Amino acid sequence: MLLITCPHCGPRDESEFSYGGARRIWPDHDANPDQTETAMLDWHQTLYLSPNPSGPLTEIWYHGGGCECWVEIIRNTKDHSISNRQKGRAS
Amino acid sequence: MSPMPDCRLPAGGLIDRNITLNFSFDGIAMQCYSGDTLASALLANGQHLVARSLKYHHPRGIVSAGLEEPSALVTVTDQYGSTPNLKVTEVVMRDGLTVTSQNNHPSLKRDYGRFLKLGGSALSAGFYYKTFLWPKQAWHKYFAPIIRNLAGQGRVDPTPDHAYYDKRRKFCDVLVIGSGPAGCAAALTAAQGGATTILIEQDHILGGSLLYTQDSIDGLNATDWAADTSEALHALSNVTVMTRTLAFGQYDHGLIQAIETGKDGDINRAIMWKIRARKIILATGAIERPVVFPGNDKPGIMLANAVCQYIRRFAVSPGTRAVVAVAAEEDRLRAIAAMQDAGIEIAAILSPGDQIISATGRLHVNAVTWKNDKGQRQRTKCDLVVMSAGWMPTAHIFAQMGEKLTFHAETQSFLPSLPEQSHHHIDPVGGARGVLHMDACLADGKASAHDAMADFNMHKHLDLPRPAVAPAPIQGFERGKGKAFIDFQNDVTTADIALAQREGYGHIELTKRYTTLGMGTDQGKTSWTNGLLEMLSISDMEAAEIGHTTYRPPYSPVSIGALVGTETGQQMTPIRHTPFHKGFADLGCVFQTSGDWLYSRYFPQPDETMAAAIKREALAVRNSLGCVDMSTLGKIDIYGADAMLFLSRLYCNDFSTLKTGKLRYVLMLREDGYVLDDGTISRLGEHHFHLTITTANAGKVWQYLKKAAMVDWPELDVTLTSVSDQWASLAIAGPYARDLLSALKPDFDVSPAGLPFASVRIGHLDGYPVRVFGVSFSGELSYEINIPSGYADALLSMVMEHGKAWNITPYGLETLDVLRIEKGHLSIGTEIDGRRTADDLGLGKMLSRKKDFVGRALSQRPAMIAGGRQQLIGLISEQDEPIPHAAHLSDTELDQNGCAESLGYLTASIYSPVMDHYIALGFLKNGRQRVGDTVWAHSPIAGQSIRLKVTSSCFYDPEGGRYRG
Ligand SMILES: [Zn+2]
Repeated sequence: MLLITCPHCGPRDESEFSYGGARRIWPDHDANPDQTETAMLDWHQTLYLSPNPSGPLTEIWYHGGGCECWVEIIRNTKDHSISNRQKGRAS
Repeated sequence: MSPMPDCRLPAGGLIDRNITLNFSFDGIAMQCYSGDTLASALLANGQHLVARSLKYHHPRGIVSAGLEEPSALVTVTDQYGSTPNLKVTEVVMRDGLTVTSQNNHPSLKRDYGRFLKLGGSALSAGFYYKTFLWPKQAWHKYFAPIIRNLAGQGRVDPTPDHAYYDKRRKFCDVLVIGSGPAGCAAALTAAQGGATTILIEQDHILGGSLLYTQDSIDGLNATDWAADTSEALHALSNVTVMTRTLAFGQYDHGLIQAIETGKDGDINRAIMWKIRARKIILATGAIERPVVFPGNDKPGIMLANAVCQYIRRFAVSPGTRAVVAVAAEEDRLRAIAAMQDAGIEIAAILSPGDQIISATGRLHVNAVTWKNDKGQRQRTKCDLVVMSAGWMPTAHIFAQMGEKLTFHAETQSFLPSLPEQSHHHIDPVGGARGVLHMDACLADGKASAHDAMADFNMHKHLDLPRPAVAPAPIQGFERGKGKAFIDFQNDVTTADIALAQREGYGHIELTKRYTTLGMGTDQGKTSWTNGLLEMLSISDMEAAEIGHTTYRPPYSPVSIGALVGTETGQQMTPIRHTPFHKGFADLGCVFQTSGDWLYSRYFPQPDETMAAAIKREALAVRNSLGCVDMSTLGKIDIYGADAMLFLSRLYCNDFSTLKTGKLRYVLMLREDGYVLDDGTISRLGEHHFHLTITTANAGKVWQYLKKAAMVDWPELDVTLTSVSDQWASLAIAGPYARDLLSALKPDFDVSPAGLPFASVRIGHLDGYPVRVFGVSFSGELSYEINIPSGYADALLSMVMEHGKAWNITPYGLETLDVLRIEKGHLSIGTEIDGRRTADDLGLGKMLSRKKDFVGRALSQRPAMIAGGRQQLIGLISEQDEPIPHAAHLSDTELDQNGCAESLGYLTASIYSPVMDHYIALGFLKNGRQRVGDTVWAHSPIAGQSIRLKVTSSCFYDPEGGRYRG
């Protein structure tokens, strides 16, 4: 039961959040749509081969029980220690 | 029957002799005093025999005085119902309890289980492993019926539990678990230093071991010191004292979960607490280790500290003539002093090194036989055996977070790592880390609290020394041959451990499962170290190699009611009503649950069947006018300079030319290229859009949009606002929809030119603010009127009143489904089921080739664009007979085995009122090329196989002339 610090709501219980998995950066959306083969490999890499380190992992959590914003944190998968890397914004 | 002996001592004890409580045990009326536990109450009435054991049905008594109790489990019935498997040592007495023993057939004193030959070798270690392997039929035919009848611990009360439970939270600087000397000292130190402090105690009063000692603290009797400390802590404003509260688990980031049991008269029977602490001081003490010898499980054989507790705290004499087998001198002297005070005759005092040959007695111990160090065999009669082999730290909660305990030869125990090596939120003190003497425990608790406060910068580091751990007794007792129990609760003997070693189950985790050592409701609290030492004595492994099994919450059994809390019934899944709920109910609507919603289903007239109502409603929409609630759709307001760019990345079709005042049907793919959702985008202004999401996906897609805006493309200027609950939405549909709209006094042009299909208008109807969307799910001319939710009643009244001219017919989910199937419109979860590409659904042309969007790249994967995929088609019954739901489609009849190759399946099948024909939607391999063919529909569930003709998925008005008006 993690204690996750939301930039809007402060430290809150994990039960208020739902897990969004590792933070993934989608391939460039304004790339030439004709380059299907490259795009397919890029998307495949990003979607299916997510990082799963034993150590720090940048991941996202949805604060559905609070401000309904997504929070980005770095969680160490070995000991669950968390550091916030918040460049977040309300939207 | 002779009257119960009164074993209550004439004076002393922490009981209130002015308050007498009544209870019954196996139908016999008994009395006790306020302050008793059920254990002391039973003993005061001379009742030692309280249970039969799990496997052998041996008579069992009360072994301990705490939550480590392995044997004395009973069923307690109060005003809420019965609860099985309560430890008599944990039940605080209140008036009127009905207590019954368990595992007895037919009675505690005469139990047939003993005579069924199950007690012999049949139930030795590995019984279940072996019985399931061989002989084949033995389990079903022989063992199962007998064991099912005899086995188990108590019976669950099948009636509903009407008691209240709750869940609550607390926060603090320092959380102290346990209120013995170490816990009290820690809590006092933290509190006096100004830290917000919570002290949790499982007992109903503070003090732990201080409640039955003759030692003194600061010149005061220790029991009085505990009472003074309790008073002082209660008086401090920065301290919360929680008694009757069991901390059962440690979780991440300093979270402790605990169950507080309500006092008699409390509204809540139990409350689950989630307590976050900056520092947890674990002062859970230590548990005394039984001595392993033949017959050690008989009633009347008790742990030494339990004997002290019953005498000193409860003023109960647990026997009249005692044999003392206590390994540590200090513990031995304490027990002897207590028994002398209670007038118990000491029959014999065994010395460490003596060999205990056996304890005898059928329902109660009546004699002990042993050999002394000179080899002399001795026997003495007794009705009480006081035993102790040493102490085991109660570090369970420390170890639950995955931290291993380390075997410590000097204490013969697994100890938590030393505080300075620990980076955790939790610091074990006193008995929990092997420190036993009272003064050392006081010092340990104080030092730990000082460390915590220094860590918080509340004062400087004092670096108080942490006391040394207490060594285990140098020598224990030897034992003779015979059934010597290690785990009383699961009837695990020394022979079982040896068998597990011989048969290759020597690993600690395997031994546990093979023998059931350490399982059950006590989780081996009294047995674990004895089990380990037994393994050590017969294997060549070192203790560190053997290790310990995994500690998991809960530390001790907890009430499931408290874990559930208030989350039952509607508090678990609240029912959502749409803004039209009351209005529709007044119109005679039958509702049904759909996800969280209670949604209108159909509107029967008097004596009308559902089928007849659906037919009438559907024809009304097709021929005249109907209205339906669309409020459950997700509605999102999107604003910003990049709003169009944002939406065009998320939706697959090209709507870059969408003008203000127009709307478009849109499709959203998942990242992997499958269809996620459909809906409409309406352009309300240059940078302002209104988006609808399907009811089923409203929450999911909202989260998804938020993620896209916040995480994926934070650089885009776009603001999302969910307005699902702000707008009530009523669709009017049918050939006269435009006439009705005109009659509703719009302040905008509703002519075919002024409000064509796929357009949106912001304006007023009879002065009410509305947004009117020209969209159609039914296939008829239709408008979705959005009005602020508070005006829902007004809108519905207006629509029903003005709609009378065209006999307006309200309709529900059933008719909505019929109309959309006739049009081949898609439904989430049925056609859009997460495995369909846009092309499978016949929407391949919607994928834009001019832009990039989420899902585009992966929707081009070879398998997703290959031929031979199943495609959405319509089907018509050739014989005009009902089409079985979910039938599979095939080109062949079923063979003699009832099999045929499946080429697809049906997603929806109905009777179409407008066509007066049975129709269905389904997926069929290469379906669009098969239009005109005839296929088989097989439903083994319905036991039906019928012939269907493949058609286009749009049965009704394929040209779309009707909805354009
Ligand atoms: Zn938040």
